[in-house]
Amino acid sequence: MSQSASIAVREPAVQTKRRAFSLKKTIVFGFFGILLVTQLYPLLWLLIYSLKTNEEILSGSFFALPASVQWSNYSNALAGGRYWHYLLNSVIVTSVTMVFVILLASLAAFAITRFRWKYGQIVMLIFLMGLMIPLQSTLLPLMLIFKNIHVLNTRWAMILPYIAFQIPIAVFIMSGFLRTIPHEIEESAIIDGAGVFRIFRSIILPVSIPPIMTVCILTFINVWNEYILAATFISKEALKTLPFGVYSFVSQYSVNYGAIGAFLVLGALPVILVYFLLAEKITKGMVAGAVKG
Amino acid sequence: MNVLKVSRWTIAAFVLPCLLLYVGLVFAPIVVSFYNATLNWNGIGVAKHVGFDNFHRMFTNDSVFWPSVRRTFMLAGFSMLVQLPIALFVAILISRYVRKPNFLVSSYFMPVILSVAVIGQLWKTIYNPASQGGMINQILIKLGLDSWTHAWLSEPKVAIYAIIVIGLWQYLGYHILIQFTGIQNIPADIYEAAKIDGAEGFKADRYITLPMIVPIFKISVVLSFIGSLQSFDLIMVTTAGGPAHATDVLASHMYNISILSQKYGYGSAIACFLVVVCLAATVVINLAFNRIEKRYN
Repeated sequence: MSQSASIAVREPAVQTKRRAFSLKKTIVFGFFGILLVTQLYPLLWLLIYSLKTNEEILSGSFFALPASVQWSNYSNALAGGRYWHYLLNSVIVTSVTMVFVILLASLAAFAITRFRWKYGQIVMLIFLMGLMIPLQSTLLPLMLIFKNIHVLNTRWAMILPYIAFQIPIAVFIMSGFLRTIPHEIEESAIIDGAGVFRIFRSIILPVSIPPIMTVCILTFINVWNEYILAATFISKEALKTLPFGVYSFVSQYSVNYGAIGAFLVLGALPVILVYFLLAEKITKGMVAGAVKG
Repeated sequence: MNVLKVSRWTIAAFVLPCLLLYVGLVFAPIVVSFYNATLNWNGIGVAKHVGFDNFHRMFTNDSVFWPSVRRTFMLAGFSMLVQLPIALFVAILISRYVRKPNFLVSSYFMPVILSVAVIGQLWKTIYNPASQGGMINQILIKLGLDSWTHAWLSEPKVAIYAIIVIGLWQYLGYHILIQFTGIQNIPADIYEAAKIDGAEGFKADRYITLPMIVPIFKISVVLSFIGSLQSFDLIMVTTAGGPAHATDVLASHMYNISILSQKYGYGSAIACFLVVVCLAATVVINLAFNRIEKRYN
């Protein structure tokens, strides 16, 4: 009721404002437009670039569309680089990481927020400290450890640190959510004779779908795009993930500009497709992930 | 009060897998780093204890160290003084003028989701000389500004600014999104009340939006600062710190020393410095914002 009343009060004022400030509005929207161009034109430019011949690219007509669309750039990129291979590796690494992060983090968050034990807060604090540790500073010790236990140059050399670095934010998000579930749920479950694991699997996990989605999105964006750790711990062609693959393709085919453009487009494509499907979920998840600061 | 009373074994089963993996791969390596920092070691041979020699050398006898610290803070400075105010301004404008903001916000956000490897290569292509199809130089030539053309990423004087531009471009949308979400969460009736008291438009922004957005703005500041301290994949894929260390930042210097030159002890010392600066920065920013928030209450 109050809502509609306030709108009724507001509406006329907005109307007059809009007419009076139409010039202002034009300027503002012009500004939005310019910003839209600066944020998106480089990506569009890359798409056009990837469809041109080398001559067209070098001729300096950066604005022109290609005379005829050069799909051959894409077939060259697919033939020369091992795109499907890199893609598959990225899918494997990202999905395995995701499954482990969700499983481990929700177990730990459940224990921290719902069990009656002394050290819950301390354990939580230890996890929270991890939010501030930069990944780079662990590269060197991890490399030495992995070398000693011979996991360097295997998928685990990527997956294990990825899981470890996603755990703090995942525990943070999951436990923030679990705290809001009323305790009566467990009480009645215990009365019904359910054990702890049963409560976790049949009650807690099903209601935790929203935070699990958030964790999934954060893990996907972070792990899918990760480059430096993969490039440091992996040198086998057969294990490279997509960002690393893009990098090595570009350094290998440095003069075939069209094919490079095509490979970059292909490299960006999966994540852009996912973004088109889930834009709102992704932006929400990224904001939730940002709050970790 | 938590109601589940369970045995130790159950607690261990729930917590330990997660805790051990995390402590083993995030926490322990940092501790090991602090120990390694006191060694003179190339990773294979016998390590020699040298005490604080590595730190001493880092602070007094490394011609790359201080310039790379300066550039690290330059990155953070540009991000905080250029990117964040623009983002806040855009966020305020969007929330004031746009009825259906989703399209605009998610378009601005698009570059954030792309891998640094792709972004870096894309901008390398954009920065290429005109003769190799680079967009910026071709535009400058078209505009008759031939003298303004540069080999953006390979001239020592401009390279770091070229990289800063990429960072500002990529993460602008992130900060717009964060601050826009913050503004959206300010209850509408506060503005209604202010309107009755005669505060509208920019006056309302000055006295309502700015104070109310402080907690969210803090998140942006922390992200941009920590992000800049760690910014390094972008540098590795574009210039790798070159030409002649002109774009080295702390993290890339650490990487070059430890991973590439295999001076593990000395590299660990730089890594430790990075960790300490990160932690200190988070604490300082939080303290500063606590004071600001107190003043508004």
